[in-house]
Amino acid sequence: MLPVSRFARYAIAAGLALFTLLWTAPVLWMGMLSLRNSAEFYNGPYGLPLPAHWDKFRVAWVEFGYQTYFRNSVIVSTGAVLLLIAVGSMAAYFFARYKFPLREPLYLMIFASIMLPPQVSILALFQMLVRYHLYNTLTGLILVYAASGLPVTLFLLRAFFAQIPREIEEAARIEGANDWRMYWQVMFPIARPAVTAVVIINLVEFWNEFLYAVVLINQQASRTLPLGIMFFMGDREQDVGMIATGLVITILPILVLYAIFSERITQSLVAGALGSS
Amino acid sequence: MLRTLQDVGTEKRRGAAAARTTAARRSSPVSWGLAAVFLGPTLFLYLVFTVYPLFRTFYNSLFVLPTVNIEQFVGLDNFRQIFSTDTIIWPAVQHTLFWSICSALLEIPIAFLLALALYARVPGGRIFRLAWFAPMLLSYVVVGPIWLWIYNYDWGPIDAALRTMGLGGLARPWLGDLSTALPALIVVTTWMFVGFNMVVFLAALHSLPGDIIEAAYIDGAGWWRTVGWIMLPLVWPTAAALTVLCVIGKMKQFALVYVMTRGGPLWSTETVATYVIKRAFQWKTVDLGYPSALATLWFLATLGVTLLLVLTFQRRPQHEA
Repeated sequence: MLPVSRFARYAIAAGLALFTLLWTAPVLWMGMLSLRNSAEFYNGPYGLPLPAHWDKFRVAWVEFGYQTYFRNSVIVSTGAVLLLIAVGSMAAYFFARYKFPLREPLYLMIFASIMLPPQVSILALFQMLVRYHLYNTLTGLILVYAASGLPVTLFLLRAFFAQIPREIEEAARIEGANDWRMYWQVMFPIARPAVTAVVIINLVEFWNEFLYAVVLINQQASRTLPLGIMFFMGDREQDVGMIATGLVITILPILVLYAIFSERITQSLVAGALGSS
Repeated sequence: MLRTLQDVGTEKRRGAAAARTTAARRSSPVSWGLAAVFLGPTLFLYLVFTVYPLFRTFYNSLFVLPTVNIEQFVGLDNFRQIFSTDTIIWPAVQHTLFWSICSALLEIPIAFLLALALYARVPGGRIFRLAWFAPMLLSYVVVGPIWLWIYNYDWGPIDAALRTMGLGGLARPWLGDLSTALPALIVVTTWMFVGFNMVVFLAALHSLPGDIIEAAYIDGAGWWRTVGWIMLPLVWPTAAALTVLCVIGKMKQFALVYVMTRGGPLWSTETVATYVIKRAFQWKTVDLGYPSALATLWFLATLGVTLLLVLTFQRRPQHEA
């Protein structure tokens, strides 16, 4: 630790506070706009939301379809995460604790797909989903998302399973647990911290995802929030106030989670991103 | 948090080592049934939604596909066309590479300076760190509209501020101007990811041997020399890993462009990713074959760049943070 004088420390903090205000200003501005209507906005773009039009959230929710988009986003991201955890965690456990031929090459092949730019496979995915009637369906999107999350999930969970002491496994074995019960009743609960991290990484990713969604979904009823925002902007580009309301609806769940679990979320995303490099 | 972050790193290393030993110690043979239950679903997802589409795209690149059911074999014609008549792909490649390089040069030094500031244990450090990291959690589709407003010519804060300062001559529609549109987008991704890079740097700084740094300082190295000659070389591997991540991330750039400029004005912000998608789904002539050829080449290019970066920096990046 370098010695820094008390004065220097406060001077740096003051500078950083100003910087942080500037850094967060775009998001704060959006928050204020979400409570103002567009007429007020064009009279003074930087005014405070007085009076605050909380009703705009109801209007966006009910009249502009955000209800549907929000529901679809919840279904797709939780569906994909659940599928991914159920499927991926079993594979990660198997890769970590069993020995079988081609184990390492197989794992590396799955992991390497993390480097694939999504626009390479998406053209054929589109073709495939159209042919098998999964185009425009939430099911199709869930399957695609779950597959896209496999590499990072396997990577983090395999590392965690590998370092669980063998004694735990042996004790359970003596108690008569078969492989299936050993996994779900002994190992999976132990892996909860790693599973939480994987859930966070993928949930944020799927909630925000745009490329797969815009190519694979083409009807109003199946749109997720990012698609909903884009189409709303296309229809009512000038309605800045209402667009902002939609943006806030979209980020609110993530920001609430971040406010509660901020450290866990930063840690998980950093671990996930570094793992994927 | 920082301690735990380092733990993640060591856990990874230990994990990899343990994975080998546990497996070696375990001798009971694995039955096919067991493998099918535990690995089957993952392999199914992987083969159907990752491997098959990849090879199908390679295959499609040799065809013209006016609808999903009709295909006409054209051999290497698509590739020939890319290299001879396509006037958009090369600017798109240039923009993508320009974006990757500028981002790396902006994000990483800014992040290092910010990390250094927080390393001095300033009051309120935790709040700063969390605030800077937050933009990374937002969707490109949320970030896009906000920055569209920020760059607005009539009432956007940048042009408004310039006019108040009497610099109205500099005010311009930032995204409508051929020379500023791409830099304006680069500013946005910098805003989004500086916080992430900073968190990684801060963890790296905290894991440095404190006594060496203190010793250097006591020996009269001074602030800047301690930073430049001792700390900077020690966090160099972290910077390398972050550079790889940053470049690869920007080579995939699609959503932000699509939401903010659609590649315009006049292709000035077109990236390879947006071009491939537009060519496939919004072109006058419907055809999946030609964009598949573009995607195939781009796949090889990203593979090449990734290998090049990893070889340049010699080490496996994830061991460093």
